[in-house]
Amino acid sequence: MQIAIASGKGGTGKTLLSTCIIKVLAERNAVLIDADVEEPNAALAFMQPISATTTVHRLVPQILPDYCTFCGLCAEICKFNALVVLENKVMVFPELCHSCGACSYLCPYAAIDETIHPIGVIEKAQLPGCGTLLAGRLNIGEAQSPPLIKAAKNKAPSANVRLVDCPPGTTCTMIEAIRGSDYCMLVTEPTPFGTHDLELSLEAVKMLGMPGGMVINRWQGDDGDLLDLSANWDFPILARIPFSAELARAYMQGMDPLLAMPALRGIIADILHHIREVSS
Amino acid sequence: MKEILFISGKGGTGKTSLTSSFIALTDNCIACDYDVDASNLPILLKPDNIVGYDFSAGYSACIEEEICTSCGLCKEVCRFEAINDDYQVIPLHCEGCGFCARICPVEAIRMEPRSSGHWFGSEFKPGQSLFFADLRPGEENSGKLVAQVKKAARQKALTDDVSVIIADGPPGIGCAVISSMVEADLIVLVAEPGLSGFHDLKRVYELIQLRGIKAVLIINKWDLNPEMSQKIEDWAAAQGVELVGKMPFSTIVADCIAEAKIPATDPQIRDLIFPIWENIIQQL
Repeated sequence: MQIAIASGKGGTGKTLLSTCIIKVLAERNAVLIDADVEEPNAALAFMQPISATTTVHRLVPQILPDYCTFCGLCAEICKFNALVVLENKVMVFPELCHSCGACSYLCPYAAIDETIHPIGVIEKAQLPGCGTLLAGRLNIGEAQSPPLIKAAKNKAPSANVRLVDCPPGTTCTMIEAIRGSDYCMLVTEPTPFGTHDLELSLEAVKMLGMPGGMVINRWQGDDGDLLDLSANWDFPILARIPFSAELARAYMQGMDPLLAMPALRGIIADILHHIREVSS
Repeated sequence: MKEILFISGKGGTGKTSLTSSFIALTDNCIACDYDVDASNLPILLKPDNIVGYDFSAGYSACIEEEICTSCGLCKEVCRFEAINDDYQVIPLHCEGCGFCARICPVEAIRMEPRSSGHWFGSEFKPGQSLFFADLRPGEENSGKLVAQVKKAARQKALTDDVSVIIADGPPGIGCAVISSMVEADLIVLVAEPGLSGFHDLKRVYELIQLRGIKAVLIINKWDLNPEMSQKIEDWAAAQGVELVGKMPFSTIVADCIAEAKIPATDPQIRDLIFPIWENIIQQL
């Protein structure tokens, strides 16, 4: 089973929850995939050494000057402006390329090869008694994270439970991260920001036709507009994690949230129980 | 005209609370929200006279069933698994590269412009503009939409002779962030004193260095972790990043956000934030 932990708004507690879930599971073959490749933070909760690092590449065009006639077709084909053909030179902009391969395939003079362009790494760490962490880490300056997210998910071994800690937002990166999951958990907070962004991410989850539920973090006794949202979108409230300044402080200091808020263990066990019931 | 951009790397560090407050403390500015997939500044600024524009970027493939011979070539060349077994295009997967349309032997595939969302001009105070956008869930091209919002804001600043643009940036370090940095004169980093806050701050700062833009730092909720806060201060000093202010954790800010109010409308918060704003302005 694969569970995606996502949110529209950033900083709602996705990573806190993902890292605690894998601890509560305490299964040796559970896998946590950190798909927030722009800012991967899950590893910070464990402080375990990285056991393996794999570089992830994308294919980008490489011009073979001996064959190129500067006809300009490749630049015309490329919808992303990644190629500019001058009088006797072709400029390639790898950061704009989407690796579709059209230019290389369609060049009438076979003057375009494809070469690899590194976009980031996947770091692997063994977690003490609770499985494996695979974290994508985008190279600084790279604009496109979906290929790295995809690679991290492909590289992760199959397991009884795979958790995906997703990037914030609702764009293509979030979709790539949650795609293929059996269940999507949306973490939100009971504020106007949280409600607004949750609704947007709900649209994305529903578009994929994925079952899911929401977890209200920093709950202060009132669901606010989230209750209506839950009813309107037929998206159950799985749990409410009470606001605790102590938990916030402990988490910022790198302490185990399950120690700072022992009740969290029971909350997570209930969430997992619910997801298993829905999925079976 | 100067553009001040607020970013943080990590989400939820308080960018929008602070940005909205600085906007409220400025006599005349243009406000901008570059977080185009989860735009929150309008929730606090509550603009009027909203005018929306359709935003199209890129294309989506469209296969005409009557012409298609199911030869399979398009499916074979598509690297995005965007064509299913029934030769239908899955819009969420399609990157709009047009490879399939180019090679289809019977010309059954058209590339159609794709509407990715909307961008808006509005007024949050009489004569003062807020620009923001609304990317359709699941869409790409957030970088291009940010560029569109920026273009509109900068044009307005020129026509109205407004000297400062204050912009709330998106989280992360990807395309939207890179696009939001274009032409920015000063970046204000909003950091939270936690392990992940510090980690993410360093990554986004590396990106700023690649772009060669001047950056200053605010540590938000510094007293939740004074030790880490000190580490961040030391790091900033070593990097030559000026610390323009430290905000303590305050339930008043949280209460303001819960009521969708700009935190600086509270006198106590205003007194904390005003000196930080003066420090930022001095950096321009």
